[in-house]
This record gives sequence, structure tokens and C-alpha cells, in this order.
Amino acid sequence: MKFRFRTLPILSFTILLLLQAVDAWALQPHGGGEGFYIHQMAHVFFMGTLTYLYLHTRRSQDPDSRGWRYLRLFCILLFFWNLMAFIGHESAVHLSADDFSDLGTWHEHLLSPLDALKFTYFVAKMDHFLTVPALLALFFSLRSFYLVAREETKP
Amino acid sequence: MTGLPLAPTILVDLIGSGLVIILSFLSLRYAHLLVKLQPRNFIWGFLFFFCIAMAAFSISRGVGHILRIFLVLGGHEELWQRFSPWSGGFNTLFMISVSSAIIYYHKGLAAYKAIRSEAEKLADANRRLEETADELQKVNTYLEDMVEERTRELSKSEKKFRHFFENSKDMVYFCDINGNITDINQSGLRMLGVEVRPSPFNLLSFFKDDQALDRYLFALSENGFVSDFEMELASTDGSVRHILLSANAIVDKNGFMIGCEGIAKDMTRLRTMTDQLIRQEKMASVGQMAAGVAHEINTPLGVILGYTQLMMDDFAKDSEVYENLRIIERQTKACRKIVADLLKFSRQTDRARAEVDLNELIEEVLTVSEHNLNISHIQVVRRFAPGLPGMIGDAEKLRQVFINLFNNSQHAMPDGGELTILTRHDQATGELVATVRDTGSGIADEIKPKIFDPFFTTKEIGKGTGLGLSVTYGIIRDHGGSIAVESPVHDPETGDKRQGAAFHVRLPVVAEPKAVNEGE
Repeated sequence: MKFRFRTLPILSFTILLLLQAVDAWALQPHGGGEGFYIHQMAHVFFMGTLTYLYLHTRRSQDPDSRGWRYLRLFCILLFFWNLMAFIGHESAVHLSADDFSDLGTWHEHLLSPLDALKFTYFVAKMDHFLTVPALLALFFSLRSFYLVAREETKP
Repeated sequence: MTGLPLAPTILVDLIGSGLVIILSFLSLRYAHLLVKLQPRNFIWGFLFFFCIAMAAFSISRGVGHILRIFLVLGGHEELWQRFSPWSGGFNTLFMISVSSAIIYYHKGLAAYKAIRSEAEKLADANRRLEETADELQKVNTYLEDMVEERTRELSKSEKKFRHFFENSKDMVYFCDINGNITDINQSGLRMLGVEVRPSPFNLLSFFKDDQALDRYLFALSENGFVSDFEMELASTDGSVRHILLSANAIVDKNGFMIGCEGIAKDMTRLRTMTDQLIRQEKMASVGQMAAGVAHEINTPLGVILGYTQLMMDDFAKDSEVYENLRIIERQTKACRKIVADLLKFSRQTDRARAEVDLNELIEEVLTVSEHNLNISHIQVVRRFAPGLPGMIGDAEKLRQVFINLFNNSQHAMPDGGELTILTRHDQATGELVATVRDTGSGIADEIKPKIFDPFFTTKEIGKGTGLGLSVTYGIIRDHGGSIAVESPVHDPETGDKRQGAAFHVRLPVVAEPKAVNEGE
């Protein structure tokens, strides 16, 4: 990486500022709940980008290509995983330690009576039934791309 | 205890996390292979970065989940509580990273498509340029080969015709519309008597006869050519050459004559030889006739002379009849001399051959004639080559040859002049050459062919019989030699032409050695 002389004063100034900072009272404090919101927003953001990728590839790429078909399947599966994870996180927030027994052991149970929230939480905990097929679709997609590209580049 | 056991979810979480990590890295491997295979493909580049982000997210999430299961189930809940924010933070970070990679795909793909479109256009233009360049190269190579071949053929043809042009023994020339010579070969220059091309150099000026020139120009303009056109050229050295000319008019694209090209053959030598042959035939015929006439006249003349002399004895010398008979005797003797000359011309006389020294023979003649020449104010110049080889001949007849030639020169110089006698040995032909050159009035071209004819004379009636040169011609021919006349005379010292005439007598060094004292 080339080091430009113009960046040297900026970098020096930034380091000096960081060394001089004693109390960050001017900064907004970030509590424990903020991480949760950020994470949920990240899921939403991820779903948006996956939707975009799905729609764009369906419009712009070869519809008969196996690679793109697998990639679109990956988008769909991962979209629903995001949705499931988002719902799972939300449901976990509304559950309390009283809803569980033998926490932190292999005998951990969701205590009766089982309602929709508990059931949703239970299903959401099984999100790997979506992530594993999604990653498998991604794997097949890239493998297909590679095989086709290798055939094309053969002399 | 009633409820829903969470052990299956823990198991699915554990196995699923591991599988997700493995699959993400397998995907990353193929993405890497794609990038290696086609490094310039933007989509493979995107998928590679996407897979990196996915692998990072899978590790972050999978490892976090596995760690949580083991720590919590292992009774280290507190430890997990310390790691949990980091795990969640990384999960969020990498999830956003994957999303960012997708956004990057959106903009990057558009840019990539635009660049690829331009690149394809550029590549297409380059390909077409290369094809055009290839075609141009082929055409150029073909043209070069063709030009080279044509140049070679042209050079060969040019060399061939240049060789023909330069080495032709005939005159080859090119003229413009005015007759100015634009190109001519060496033979042509020699034929015209020119060493260095003068300026202007006009062919028409060399035509001796104006009528021939008019016919030549008329034929060229009307017919576009002349073929086997006989004419005479007057070369700059004064000699006249008989020429057989063939020429073509050169016309421009509109058919107008812009010049001419032609070949001229010098026929002078052939013409001279033909003339000589004709003359020799004529001389032979005349000689034969003269011999016949002389034989027939000689006998009655002898009778007349005999009877006249007998009758003279019968009359007194102072009588009128005696005087008349003397006139008859004198005229009869004159007639006999003419007859004798005719016999000499026709070789009907006796031969007395012996070895002769040419210088000595001429000197003997001069001993007799020089006094008479000096009286006529003629200066005699001797230029004898010393040590001439001897020749076989009739000395008496050869003396008559030179007497006749000296007499002719004397008559040609009534007011005096210079008579030069030269002798030399022409080793190339093995002949002795005697030249009698005077500074007299010279001999006109018109009468040159007739001067050796019997009874041809330019003297007044009664002053010459016209047999002198005929007899000379007959004697020299009888000795196997030849005689030629030159007028005006070419001076070999100055190279100029001067008035007068020169007779060149050529006699063989060895001629009929067995013919000594041979008679008819």
C-alpha cells in the first residue's frame, strides 16, 4: 500500500486527539439493549439485501443457469432464516427464566403450558434447518459456476 | 415435569453450526478457484468477497454457538456471559459485512457491465482493426510481391531492349515532332558523324535531298510510318551515306503525332560494292568490245600504214602528195596508238612480269616527268615509305599507270600546285599503296563513277582520247590490284577536307609469281 504524504498530517492529528481524550461526556452512552436492536436491524438489512440480490439476479442473469438458480435458492433460504432468527430473538426477549426448567443442562425444558410464544421460540431454535440448506445451495451454486467456467476456458 | 425438551435444539445447533462452517469454506474454496480461473470476471470477484464474509459470519456464529453450548452445559455460565457480547457483536458485524458485499455487487456490477461493454466494443474495434491490418498486410505483401515481380520483369525487359538499342549496328533513334533527336544509339551517332551530341540535334538537317525529306515527312504524317525508305544522309564529316530507313510516328492519346521512332540501316558499303560490281561488269563488257573492235581495226590500219609508207617512197619529200601521205601516216599511227591503248585496257597485250620496286619505278617516272611538271609550276613532294617489299608486275605498264596519273594531275592544276606521291605497305591487306594527290580542281561527285570509262573525258575535243584512266584501270586490274579516287581530299595531318583529288593505287605484294614473261 502506498503511503501518501497528504495522509500523514491527518493520521497524526487523529492519533493526538485519541491520546488527549480523557472523558467522553459528549458521547452518547450505549446501554445493553442497543446491541439487541442493532442485531435485529442487521437482520432486517440482511433480508433487504438478500431480496435485492434475488430479484436482481433473476432479472439480469441467465435463468437457465444452475449456478444462478442455486444462488437464488440460497437467497430465499437465508432470507427466511433471517426472518426466523429475527422472530426467535424477539420471542426470546419475551420469555423469562420461569418459562424454563433445568437451564444450562441437557435436560432443559420449556415449561407448560406451551403457548405460541414458546412454540415459536422452540421452532426458531431449529434455524439450522434453514442455514445448512442455504449454505448447501451456495456451495452448489459456486461449484456449478466453477465447472461451467472451467469448461469454457478449456483450450 | 411437563414441557418441551430443548435438547434436540441444542443438538441441531451444535451439528448445524459445524456444517455451516464447513459448507461456507467449501463455497469459499470454489469462489477462490473461480477467481483464479478468471481473475478479470467481476461476478467471481464479488462471490469471492461474499463467501469470505459468509465464512467469517459462519465462524463467528457457529463458534459462538458451540462455545455457548459447551460453556453453559459445562457449568461456566459466567464465562459465557463475558464472551456473549463479543460473539453477538461479531455476528452483527459480519452480517452487515455480508449485506454490504451485496450492495457492493449492485454498484460494482453496473460499473463492471459498463466497463465490459466498453471493453467489448474496444476489443471488437481492435479485432476489426487487426483483421483490417491483416488484410492490409496481405494486400501490402501481395502488392510488394507484385511490384517486385513487375519491376524485375520491367528491368529485364528494359535491359533487353537497352542492350538491343545500344549494341545495334543500325541507327535507332527517337525524335520529337520537330525532328529533334531525343535519344539515339552509338551506331546512330557514328552514322551521322557525330561524337558528342550537338544542341540542337535535328535528324532532318542530315537529309541530303530535300525531296526525300518531304517524302519522309509526308509518309509519316499521312501513313504513320515509312518502310524501307531509301535516302541519303550527309554526315558531319562530309561523307554521304546511303540509308534504308523504317520509322513509325509516335502519337498521343488523341491520335496526334508527337514524334517518331525509327531504325536506319547503313547501305553505303553494299551500295558501293554494287556500284563497283556494276562498273566492273561494264568495264569488262567495254573491254571485250574494245578488244574486238581493236582487233578488227588493227589489221586494216596496218595495211593502210604499210601502203602509205610504200607510197611515200614513190614521191618526192617536198611534194604535196608526200606531205599528204605523211599526214595519213601520222593519223594512222595515232589510230594504232588508240587501238594499242584499247588492247592494253582489255588486257589484249603481251605481259612481261618481273620483280618491281615500286619506289624505284615511281622515281624513274618522275625523272622523266618532273621537269615538265616544274615548268607548269607544280611542286612534287615525295613521301616514299622506305624498305617496301617487292612486287611482281610489268614495269613498263606500271610506269604508264603513273605517267597517266601525273598527266591527269598536271591537267587538273593548270595554274600550278602541289603533287604529292606517297607509298606505303598496308600490312593488314598485304598490299602496296601508292597515292597520287594533287591540289587541283578536283572531281565532281557526279562524274566520279564515269572517270574510268573508256573515251570519257572532261577535256576539250581533240585534247584527250579519254583512254588514260581506262588504260590505268585495266593495267592495275591486270596486276590484281585496285584503284580508287578521293575528292575532295582528306588531309590525315589536319583532318580537314581540301580541294583536289587523290588516286589510291593498291597492288598486291605477291601477284601471280609464275606469270613472268607470260604472253598471249
